[in-house]
Amino acid sequence: MVVAMGLEQMDQYAPVLMMALVAIAASGGMLAASVIAGKRGHRPAIKDTAYECGMIPIGSNSARFAVKFYLVAMLFILFDIETVFLYPWAVVYKDMLTTNASLILGGMISFMAILAVGFAYILKKGALNWRE
Amino acid sequence: MNYGELLKLLAPESILALTLLLVLGADATFLSGRAPGLRRAVAASLTVAGCMGAIYWIFFFPIHGHLFSGVLVVDPLTQVTKQVLLLLTAATALLTLETAFTPHVGEYFGLQLLATLGFLFMVSSEDILTIFVALELASLSLYMLASFAKGNLASAEAGLKYFLYGGLASAFLLFGFSLLYGLTGETLLAKIAAKITTTPRDPLLVVAISMVLTGLGFKIAAVPFQLWAPDVYEGAPTPSAALIASGSKLASFFLLEKMMTIGLSSAVGSGAFHALAAGWVPMLAMLAGLSLIVGNLTALAQTSVKRLLAYSAIAHAGYALLGVIANSSQGFVALLFYVMTYGFTVLGAFGVVAVVERQTGSDRLEAFAGLSRRSPVLAGVLFVCLLSLAGIPPLAGFFGKFYLFAAILRAGAPSLGILWLVILAIALSAVSLFYYLQVLKQAFVREAPLELPFSVKPSTQLVLILLALCVILFGCAPDLLVSKLLLALKAAAPGLVF
Repeated sequence: MVVAMGLEQMDQYAPVLMMALVAIAASGGMLAASVIAGKRGHRPAIKDTAYECGMIPIGSNSARFAVKFYLVAMLFILFDIETVFLYPWAVVYKDMLTTNASLILGGMISFMAILAVGFAYILKKGALNWRE
Repeated sequence: MNYGELLKLLAPESILALTLLLVLGADATFLSGRAPGLRRAVAASLTVAGCMGAIYWIFFFPIHGHLFSGVLVVDPLTQVTKQVLLLLTAATALLTLETAFTPHVGEYFGLQLLATLGFLFMVSSEDILTIFVALELASLSLYMLASFAKGNLASAEAGLKYFLYGGLASAFLLFGFSLLYGLTGETLLAKIAAKITTTPRDPLLVVAISMVLTGLGFKIAAVPFQLWAPDVYEGAPTPSAALIASGSKLASFFLLEKMMTIGLSSAVGSGAFHALAAGWVPMLAMLAGLSLIVGNLTALAQTSVKRLLAYSAIAHAGYALLGVIANSSQGFVALLFYVMTYGFTVLGAFGVVAVVERQTGSDRLEAFAGLSRRSPVLAGVLFVCLLSLAGIPPLAGFFGKFYLFAAILRAGAPSLGILWLVILAIALSAVSLFYYLQVLKQAFVREAPLELPFSVKPSTQLVLILLALCVILFGCAPDLLVSKLLLALKAAAPGLVF
């Protein structure tokens, strides 16, 4: 009985397992295909360093780093987290619209209004102005 | 429940939030680039107007109700407390005009409002989740307020220390809450209490209580969680320190009382001398005793008045804890009376320190020399406030202590087992008189090398005089406040019967 229940619960994970297999097969296949079918070329050391963006991993630890990055990253996380609240809201939106429209609408409208004021504030303060 | 109802229940908080946006908006738009003095004046008047508006609203549109059976509680008692909290913030905002440490005027006043918003929610929540969120809102704002004088090394140190200790304390509190939730499966305080009675006493419960007490003990600066207080009080800009000492204390004690008497009402225990029993009372009795001893004795050796006020705040946390330990409605009223009048008193004292610090550049005892001749008004206010802190009748501090002692003795009436704590408190109260008089001696007896009169802003003078009058009024007629608190507590009854 216990085993049966366990299996039943495991059944729910079948799609996850399939997804994992597909992901491994796809990425492994691409690598394998490029090794088999690709042209073997010149491979200098520079090709193994950070690509396009990202920092060079070896060097002095006191490298100068624009404080702007931190500000933008902080603001990004702030607004990112705030949009996370939209997901649970959107999930219950339809149900609550029939039973409690004022709460679901009023709550989100005032939340977004405060967000908008915050956004206007950071624009006004020049926090997103990269040149300054 | 609809949105209109929610807004009505949260009217004071909404007014405060709108004020906050207004202060920030005004400072960022049409005041940007103007003279700092003007910006400070506008921001302070907006802050005061917002606080007064919220007080007015609470007074003329009384509304009571519970949201989601206790996630948000609005009853007469929380409303009275909120009014006092708003008054304290308004006074702090006016005292801020006396200082000029930051160009970020809108943000500074905005953070004061945000911290106050946190205090209001702390007072209103009876659910461990909302309690934690409210506490964090207040704490994070206070960390920033403490470190707001960016160019000042001491302020940065104060902010960092406050933040690191505070973060640790929050972690403890959260761990304690999670244990409480794990033990009972509930987040509402009343339901947690109901579940604890039905199950046999669990060792984990003791761990949970001590962790919760660690978190809240930090907020009220009780020994052994007091290490941050002296450095923060000394290093933080004076208005920030004043808010930490007054509003934050009141909200935290209110929260502690609710947490203990509602949430843990079935794990009380006993702190009587020969009959200790496990529970939160003996733990709090220990904290209170230690705070009284360490606070009062360490204050004797201080030469900085802000540090002295910090150690005296630790000692006063010890006195106020007696009200929680009493675990009765009288104890609750005594605690609130004590912490409220303490808020007014300490704000007055910090106001005087702010002026002296601005004029002489130091808050050392010597800086106060000749104060009675340099500014009789300031000296008078300092006189009233410090004597009230020492507990001299007929000032508010005396009756505050009197009610606390009466409440705790009545609560343990037949056996008088808790008498040891009361005796300790009275003895150390006599000790405290010494260090308060040290400051007054400088102000009234010693002569300053250069006795130039202090220039004090009219707004500061007005606030300080009003605060001193409050201290005298509640000392001469304590019943004005006590009867109001008693009535409010009775009206708030269902959630608070004990």
